[in-house]
Amino acid sequence: MSASAGPVPQQTPSEAKRRKPGLVGWVVNRLGMDDLMEDQYNRVVPFHATNYIYCFGGIALVLFVILAATGIMLAVYYQPTPDTAYQSVLNISTHVQFGWWIRSIHRWSAGGMVLLVFVHMLRVFFTGAYKKPRELNWLTGVALLLITMGFGFTGYLLPWDQKAYWATKVGTDIAGSVPIFGHFLLVSLRGGEQISAATLGRFFDLHVLVLPAIIIILLLGHFFMIRRHGISGRL
Amino acid sequence: MTRSSFLKWLIGIFGVAAVAGVVYPVLRFLKPPAAVSSAIGQVVNAGALGSFPAGRLTLLTVHDQPAAVQNLNGKYAVYSLICTHLGCVTGISGDSFTCPCHGSEFSPTGAVTHGPATLPLPTYHSQVQNGSLLVGPIDLSHAAYPTWYKGEFT
Repeated sequence: MSASAGPVPQQTPSEAKRRKPGLVGWVVNRLGMDDLMEDQYNRVVPFHATNYIYCFGGIALVLFVILAATGIMLAVYYQPTPDTAYQSVLNISTHVQFGWWIRSIHRWSAGGMVLLVFVHMLRVFFTGAYKKPRELNWLTGVALLLITMGFGFTGYLLPWDQKAYWATKVGTDIAGSVPIFGHFLLVSLRGGEQISAATLGRFFDLHVLVLPAIIIILLLGHFFMIRRHGISGRL
Repeated sequence: MTRSSFLKWLIGIFGVAAVAGVVYPVLRFLKPPAAVSSAIGQVVNAGALGSFPAGRLTLLTVHDQPAAVQNLNGKYAVYSLICTHLGCVTGISGDSFTCPCHGSEFSPTGAVTHGPATLPLPTYHSQVQNGSLLVGPIDLSHAAYPTWYKGEFT
């Protein structure tokens, strides 16, 4: 590396002092990440925000990470066809080693995430944290709440048991009651007039491809705006 | 050892334990479950006849599935302990079978004496050879038994 033809880059003494050793330092130095990292390390959490009610959003994020990890694992054994879906879920719960554990974590984290996202919304509402200039973050938060519930709705069908079938029947019927666009929504969700293999395929696609892509983009925007605005002021 | 290095070790040990506690189940999860059906045709030696006293049921595991040996005055039979109703493991009470899940009861010959089960408990093919009890495949020919006896879940 020292054999390069160009002039040796000049370093101020303070830059040289900041150079980090080791493998992590090697990467950090090459990407010039010192300033970025330092900015992150030096952020001060305001005293009024060192309170458990300010943790709900973070807990929801942890649950999302857990859900992504366990969901990827469940997809190893899950088979999204009407003939095999229920049996493959039964297989995960009764036959695959630790399958019951992974599936239970996924199921309980899912319920917990819906709850935590909602409680997080209440915290933001009652502390007035949605006010100017944070309106856009409130709007992405609303979208994130809806997407979280979309995850819950589509994931509920995947075991393909009686409860799943009838919950989806009722849920898509509700979508069908929307004026003017209702019928379009209903057949788009079901992939036809009735709940069928097409419905299972569409819900599986939404649950593991479409919604994860959307939620990751929105989450990045959500966090970027938190950093941009800082934690909202005290009541 | 200073307090600081002791705490560093402690954190390290707990950290390794926490990571191992996640990695181990994950690796086990990824390992495909053992194909029970491939072992089902095999004949296994269940042990010497002396280990199956008369008048009561002796618990046994055949091809990773729970079973019980019955000794009726030197006449041996091996019953599956998986309930024909929804696949729970039945308990044994004296010389008969009671399922804890939904209360199905089976007579000493495996016949249903109390619902909700409708099919009798299946038996394994078995025979006595050189003073030992050999247990072969499960006999599912007498009724349309659920597939879980063949280890089929998918």
